[in-house]
Amino acid sequence: MIRNYIKIAWRNILANKLFTLLNIAGLAIGVCVCIILFSFVNKELSYDKMYSNSENIYRVNMETSEDYDFETWATMPNAVGPAMLKDIPQVKKMTRLIKDDFGATASLKIGEKNFTENGLYLADSTIFEMFDFKFISGTHESAFSKPKSIVISKSTKVRLFGEQDAMNQFITVNNRDTLQVAGVYADLPKNSVMDFNMVYNIMDSWMGTNVYWSNASYETYVQLQPNVNSAEVEKQASKLIDKYVDKEGQYFTKFFLQPLPKIHLYSADIREGYSTKLGNITTIKSLLFLSLLVLLIACINYMNLATANSQKRAKGIGINKVLGANRNQMLSLFYVETGIMVFLSIIIGYAVSFLALPLFKSITGNELGYSDLLATPILVGILLTWGVVTLVAGSYPAISMSGISPLVLVNKSKKKGSASEFVRKGLVVFQFAASIILIIAVTIILQQMAFIKNKNLGYDPNGIIAVSVKSAETEQQVASLIKSLERQVNVESVSAVQAMPGTNESGRSVYKLATDNTGLPIASCRTDGNIVNTLKLKVIAGNELPVTIAEGDSIIYTLVNEKVVSYLNYKTPEEAVGKIIHTELGSRALITGVVENFNFNSFKEDIGGYMYYKAISAPEGIRTLLVRYNSQNLSQFIGQLQQTFNETLPNTAFDYQFVDRHVAQLYASEEKTASTVTIFSGLAIFIACLGLFGLAAFTAEQRKKEIGVRKVLGATVTGITRLLSKDFLKLVLIAFVVAAPVAYWLMQKWLLDFAYRTEINWWVFVFAGLAAVLIALITVSFQAIKAAIANPVKSLRTE
Amino acid sequence: MLLELNNIFKWVNQGGKRIYLLSDINLKVEEGEFISIMGPSGSGKSTLLNVIGMLDGFQEGEYNFLGESVHSMKEKNRSKLYKEYIGFVFQAYHLIDELTVYENIETPLLYKNVKSSERKALVADMLDRFNMVGKKDLFPSQLSGGQQQLVGVARALIAKPKLILADEPTGNLNSKQSEEIMQLFKELNQEGVTIIQATHSETNAAYGSRVIHLLDGRRDQQ
Repeated sequence: MIRNYIKIAWRNILANKLFTLLNIAGLAIGVCVCIILFSFVNKELSYDKMYSNSENIYRVNMETSEDYDFETWATMPNAVGPAMLKDIPQVKKMTRLIKDDFGATASLKIGEKNFTENGLYLADSTIFEMFDFKFISGTHESAFSKPKSIVISKSTKVRLFGEQDAMNQFITVNNRDTLQVAGVYADLPKNSVMDFNMVYNIMDSWMGTNVYWSNASYETYVQLQPNVNSAEVEKQASKLIDKYVDKEGQYFTKFFLQPLPKIHLYSADIREGYSTKLGNITTIKSLLFLSLLVLLIACINYMNLATANSQKRAKGIGINKVLGANRNQMLSLFYVETGIMVFLSIIIGYAVSFLALPLFKSITGNELGYSDLLATPILVGILLTWGVVTLVAGSYPAISMSGISPLVLVNKSKKKGSASEFVRKGLVVFQFAASIILIIAVTIILQQMAFIKNKNLGYDPNGIIAVSVKSAETEQQVASLIKSLERQVNVESVSAVQAMPGTNESGRSVYKLATDNTGLPIASCRTDGNIVNTLKLKVIAGNELPVTIAEGDSIIYTLVNEKVVSYLNYKTPEEAVGKIIHTELGSRALITGVVENFNFNSFKEDIGGYMYYKAISAPEGIRTLLVRYNSQNLSQFIGQLQQTFNETLPNTAFDYQFVDRHVAQLYASEEKTASTVTIFSGLAIFIACLGLFGLAAFTAEQRKKEIGVRKVLGATVTGITRLLSKDFLKLVLIAFVVAAPVAYWLMQKWLLDFAYRTEINWWVFVFAGLAAVLIALITVSFQAIKAAIANPVKSLRTE
Repeated sequence: MLLELNNIFKWVNQGGKRIYLLSDINLKVEEGEFISIMGPSGSGKSTLLNVIGMLDGFQEGEYNFLGESVHSMKEKNRSKLYKEYIGFVFQAYHLIDELTVYENIETPLLYKNVKSSERKALVADMLDRFNMVGKKDLFPSQLSGGQQQLVGVARALIAKPKLILADEPTGNLNSKQSEEIMQLFKELNQEGVTIIQATHSETNAAYGSRVIHLLDGRRDQQ
């Protein structure tokens, strides 16, 4: 019997080429999208579950006080870890983790060669046991047994040393420490937030030995005893604050334990972690939602097309029933047919998904390999998809069509089918409403991106290269580099800074009164007298920072933005000029000038307080040169820059960054969201159109006789085209009415994430509505015209 | 007796009025009869055949088939009954387009859960008998009308029904093809199959042993 079903179903599939093509195309696209996204989600969810202690490892996070808006931070004082280990018996092991130089790129020197490195960490030696390091050379016990040891990953070893043996080789970091390689470990799993390429002992540095409760720069991981209640440990840990920190110094109030496997996806609201491998559960959820939507639209297509085709199929069902088939047998026949169709679609969709991986990467920036597509959960998922899609897509046609009476054979049962028509129309409305929502969403997202890109930052990031000089051996080297750069033709101005905007500034606070305990947190950045010129800041009161300061001048000259001035309650910027500013820089800090507010962070955040300062003896060093250039030939200019750099700082790696690219990077995830949603929407709309095309074909077929009669009576081709298109347009309009408020609500919510956002314009809705109408019209009119120009003699001929 | 219709009424409501499709039909059919139902278009021939074939219901009256009362039966049992005893032949043949000649003939056996080997034998016999062995792998669209109707008859016969209902079986055929089909019916009838056909043609009606005339849903007792 089943063989017979398959045979009949297969021949039906072959007999209705157009329907088969439309269905398989739609379903295959839907399946392809789902497989890729399921693989992606599967990979994201697999993060950090592979360590033998994964279940018991937690990252300690802390909640800050009101001064810092109660933000949650992933970094904390280096005293937290040791205190927890000592005072809380449930804590079995602990390691602190900090990126060398607080996350700045490190400059390495091996022999005569210079390298840059972004994955250099300091940690306690317990890290090797906690995270299952597998040593290829050396052992985890011996790794830090000698002072000044460093261990490196296999791939880093290859990068730095090639085929040569790395053990006992020396690496000079930032022209400061010389470390000896004491071990090489197998690269950590890709799906781990642990992204260190090289680790050296935190106890070799003041960072490990000088334990204090102030500077919050250290990530802290704890491994609890098995089966310990983490909430209990959190409570005990939070009690340590009162025990060790006096009231004044308590800028954090609570500790949280975040399970290791959750760090990857659930850290979007947590500030200041070091890992570069963070995902976002919101992205995952929205991708999942979108892919299911695309698949659902494809299923609806199938339902619509299959039932639309029922007129043609009715005869076959009638005959089978007369020949003795019962309803269940017909039901099975339809399910078998759907099953085969879905199977073909899945095979095609699966095959295409392998080819589409590079595309996926370029759209979303996420890398997937073939192995991710072949993972067991994916294969199980595909089987499940097959079953579910067959059941869902097959249900409506099977149930509605298996009930057809054999009387159709004798023209007795005129299937009015008002119910099935209603369902079909409802499904079309759903598809189009979804499409319209997507069109509106895409338009607003793209608008917002354009808004952000074109918004005036308050400084000009274009045409500036930031060159790292933090590993310079002497200050003289930096000074002479500045001198020789300023002499070059293509260089407009050079400014030495602690950090380029929004990167490694120092967190300080500005106080209204010297005796205040709470103030405005600001970013402070040491610089020189050229900063206004180089960044093209706008001075609105007072002067720029002085280019030269006389020997023995102990004044700290500062340049603050409007935000600071208004916090300090000065009525005008002019009023602030020349006043003492209370901050952690001592009592000799003066406001030299005030600049217009500028966005050093992304537009998602409000502009914060910012302070540039210049002083003879400053607590921070000069780490970066901002070079404003006017060269058209970038590669030549950079070559020239590098040459000058190497001549002046022969022992330091040349590490540079374009400031405008750094700014663009702030919106990278939104850019990706935009392109992802655009692609998905395109696919969803395309699939919906496939369905509409089929439906139009069906309607034309169904009304063949009516059209024939009308033509005989003198109707024109345009008249008939209009007649046939009208019904579909009505559905699109209903869809629009449903979609517009939903889209408005959704996008309003999305925009709330941005501190600076575009308005939602009425024309976006008009545009989306017109686009949907146009798309529907083009799709439908093809069939309508075809029906309208057909010869009426053919359609009116009786059997 | 094969079947018996007593005072059958069937109507539809149209514009608030009752339109009678069948009105007070009484009919007794013995096994082995060959009955022709005649009458103009719209006289109720097809409706009567559909009622007898249990494809369609009726509002009033009694219908007994092989001693069982069809009018009080549930849908499921009714379809079981006609599956078992009745074969249908249609004016438009109604072959399944996607199946070959062989598969079309085989289909009723599949629905009766006949074993594969037995099916093969039965279908082979039937093909042999209708001289269609050479055409068994062709699809309906590759056959002439007469040949299609032959397949239709073969398919109706394969499950060994007691009764064959034929609604204008030669309506779409030319006179030579018609004659072949009617000759075939006559042979089948002589082998013991009961046949009821609806027809416009006096010539075809003459093949039968008894003619029933219908007019406006009533038996026309001329």
